[in-house]
Amino acid sequence: MNDQTILHIKNLEISLKTGHKILNGVDLAIRPGRVLGVIGESGAGKSMLGSAIAATLPRGLAISRGSIDFDGLTLTDMNAKTRRDLLGRDIGFIPQEPMSALNPSLTIGHQICHHLARIGLRTAQSREDRAVELFSEVGLDRPRDLLKSYPHQLSGGMLQRVLIAMAFASHPRLVIADEPTTALDVTIQQKVVELIARMRETHNTSVLFITHDLQLAAEVCDDVAVLYAGRIVETGAARRIIEAPMHPYSRCLNLATPNLSGPKARLMILPGTMPSPLERTVMTGCEFAPRCPLAETRCHSSRPALEEIVAGHHSACHWPERSGMIAPPATSAEQVVPTLGSAMILQAKGLGKAYRQHDWLGRVRRVEALRELNFEVREGEFVGIVGESGSGKSSLTKMIVGLEDVTSGTLEVVGMDRATTPRERFFDKVQLVFQDPQSALNPRRTIGSLVTQALEARDSQPSAAERKDMVAALLAKVMLPPDVAGRFSDQLSGGQKQRVNIARALCSNPRLLIADEIVSGLDVSVQAQILELLRELRNEVGFSLLLISHDLAVVRHVCDRTLVMCKGEIVEQGPVEEVFANPQHPYTRQLVAAALGPVVVGR
Amino acid sequence: MIIAILRILARRLLAIIPVFVVVTILVFGALRILPVDPAQMSLPPSATIEQVEAKREAMGLNRPIWEQYTIWAKGAVAGDLGESSQYRMSTAAVVLDRLPATIELVICALVFAVGVGVGGGLLVFSARDTVLETVGLVVISAVMALPDFLLALLFILVLGVLMPIFPVNGRLEPGMQVPTQTGFLLIDALLTGDFRAFFSALHYIALPVMALGLAFSPTIMRVLHASLVNTYQQSYILQARLRGLSGREILFGQALKNAMLPVVILVGTQFGGLFGGTLLVEMIFSFPGLGNLMVKAMQTSDLSVIMAISLIYCATTLLFNSLADALAYLLNPRLRNG
Repeated sequence: MNDQTILHIKNLEISLKTGHKILNGVDLAIRPGRVLGVIGESGAGKSMLGSAIAATLPRGLAISRGSIDFDGLTLTDMNAKTRRDLLGRDIGFIPQEPMSALNPSLTIGHQICHHLARIGLRTAQSREDRAVELFSEVGLDRPRDLLKSYPHQLSGGMLQRVLIAMAFASHPRLVIADEPTTALDVTIQQKVVELIARMRETHNTSVLFITHDLQLAAEVCDDVAVLYAGRIVETGAARRIIEAPMHPYSRCLNLATPNLSGPKARLMILPGTMPSPLERTVMTGCEFAPRCPLAETRCHSSRPALEEIVAGHHSACHWPERSGMIAPPATSAEQVVPTLGSAMILQAKGLGKAYRQHDWLGRVRRVEALRELNFEVREGEFVGIVGESGSGKSSLTKMIVGLEDVTSGTLEVVGMDRATTPRERFFDKVQLVFQDPQSALNPRRTIGSLVTQALEARDSQPSAAERKDMVAALLAKVMLPPDVAGRFSDQLSGGQKQRVNIARALCSNPRLLIADEIVSGLDVSVQAQILELLRELRNEVGFSLLLISHDLAVVRHVCDRTLVMCKGEIVEQGPVEEVFANPQHPYTRQLVAAALGPVVVGR
Repeated sequence: MIIAILRILARRLLAIIPVFVVVTILVFGALRILPVDPAQMSLPPSATIEQVEAKREAMGLNRPIWEQYTIWAKGAVAGDLGESSQYRMSTAAVVLDRLPATIELVICALVFAVGVGVGGGLLVFSARDTVLETVGLVVISAVMALPDFLLALLFILVLGVLMPIFPVNGRLEPGMQVPTQTGFLLIDALLTGDFRAFFSALHYIALPVMALGLAFSPTIMRVLHASLVNTYQQSYILQARLRGLSGREILFGQALKNAMLPVVILVGTQFGGLFGGTLLVEMIFSFPGLGNLMVKAMQTSDLSVIMAISLIYCATTLLFNSLADALAYLLNPRLRNG
């Protein structure tokens, strides 16, 4: 084999016990000091790669064919003990959720020193010194004090630094980073990505970077492999795949991702969902064909092989050169911004929220969650709220829907004073859609009864036939097939569930819809479906939207105006294009810079 | 941190006092409602009616019940728990005489239960995803269904009669003597260097300890097993595996400390049950401890002894609850900055 590779995955196949394949014929190679990105949506099998390398595949899954070579050794032929010895020593891992990746009952110092002992530091003093040195290297302040802290005392960003320090402590040949920034705030994400790039440079480590985020992959990686339904559909230099993709799927993903700059086009919508391992077994053609805008009869009958199109750029498509022809859906005539009504749906003046906290001695402390908010939302207007965790976004939502009391200032919702009007007067006028589509739906009720749940709170009940008609109308509004009405929520995909949530919110014809991070748990292609749905509904139904999101591009894509929140205050507000193109407040500038993508150190 | 733990413990103990006062009132009230006459019980059957009346006057039984309670409480604070009608001596002396035997029994049973429980829990857990795990869980459920006194009778039958390995009554071989220093037979025997007596005492205490302990251990096994299964789903366990730690290092170095927390709470809250279990088990094995004394006191309506022992049961339960809280605090750093 080639001496030039650190990791070489050859024709890897991972199957369920039933024989259904999770990964199929995957070939990947990473050269020393390079970053290989693996891009895929959930269900594509990208996380299985890391598990296969570490031999931690979930129960019921096994490598059924192929091999994994690491640094001249064949991992798949080694015994468990020698293979385990490589982990943490020659292969490091950076996890997705730093908050839960360290043992909560042991100090940071205990955990890192234990790791350092394992990789060969003999004395306690040398371990401590090395830990401090590593912490300084990853940019943690007061490293010596950190050793005595417990994980819950640190923020997510700090914990991720600790974990990165541990991953690179042994100068590993390979580091596997599985969505290392997904759980972090935008500005922290940026710093973590830069840190990984810098650590890779200084330790001359190869990185396998697993992500669902195209933009991020373009910034971080040298090479990229796009995974779809367990197969690699395209691989090549990162820039090329993002800018000139040779596979329709890569192109579609690109078109489905909202941008923060450039013209505001409609997002590409991929029909249907990725085939499950079960469905793949019976497919004879290309797995992407059922959703591909370019598919022809040949695509359904014969599967294209991964072939080199240009030097170093492979694609598994019968017509790779046609990929560029896929254009975003045209902005149709009715997409003109609807005229806004003159009525105020939301009006906040000097709005504030303070919580009272008691400590164990009963002393009361006032914590101000929100200070002096002044903003308004007009009828039919779509307004975004952006801000990081702890900025007070959720407190504001809770106040608007009446789950929290107003402690200072005034808040008028749909023309009524929130503080003095009885709560039930708002129920039909304001509706809320949550982040997690699954847990917001009662698993024991049919979709039909869930969608019209709001009717049950009314005095006069509609007849069964009327209710049925309403279900059909609501499902049609969110573009779900009518037969969904009789199913249960666990029979739907994540995107479909979120549509059900939106339909349920629309049941009472609300004047204001609050969408709290409704796309942040969803895949790019599903996110595009939901965002486009919101835009369609705007023309059709007519309501005001308050869209809370950490993703600036999402807000830009859907909203007219945006509020930027930081530490309980609105630091900037205005039309989306103005705010994001020409941010005034330093915090907004920081957010925009982070979202536009970093200039990665050393490249 | 030690100061913080002491503070927690002190706060808990302070909170116990009002609970304890309420319990004394309840027990006192209940005992006075009983249709027995403490004055008559404390005199020989030959006593005349006048003598009984005089005694009743002396004991304050003619006064309203709250005054009687005040008298008792004043005495109790001063260490005087009244006189045992059955032994005609100070209740405190009678109870303190039997207390060490029961404490010894309960502590041994606790150690046994935690040892067997934790060991068994780990064993069943390490057999996870095999048939053995299922078998283990079924056996645990079966043992859990057996109460301590039934286990005691089974042990007597199997290990005392069919295969006479262990003696079935008393604390020590007949004729053997250990000078009393602490009252704890095992400790006294060691202090005097009398190993023969030590082993004899160990031999005699074995069956009651096993009966009590084994009745408690299945619950510990179940809770530890479930808690470990839960802990292993946490991301830091996978992360430890990805750092190359072996299965043993992960179980003992990473998982066990977190998984023990529910077990600590369980033992703390269920200790009262173990202590109460001594009542029947001591009687079955003629073990000269509080349980036996309590049964006798109930048979002879020895109210002051019943009162004193009830309060000891109550105090131990409350005390162990507090200890479990302090231990949980020690194990879980997140509680410390709450």
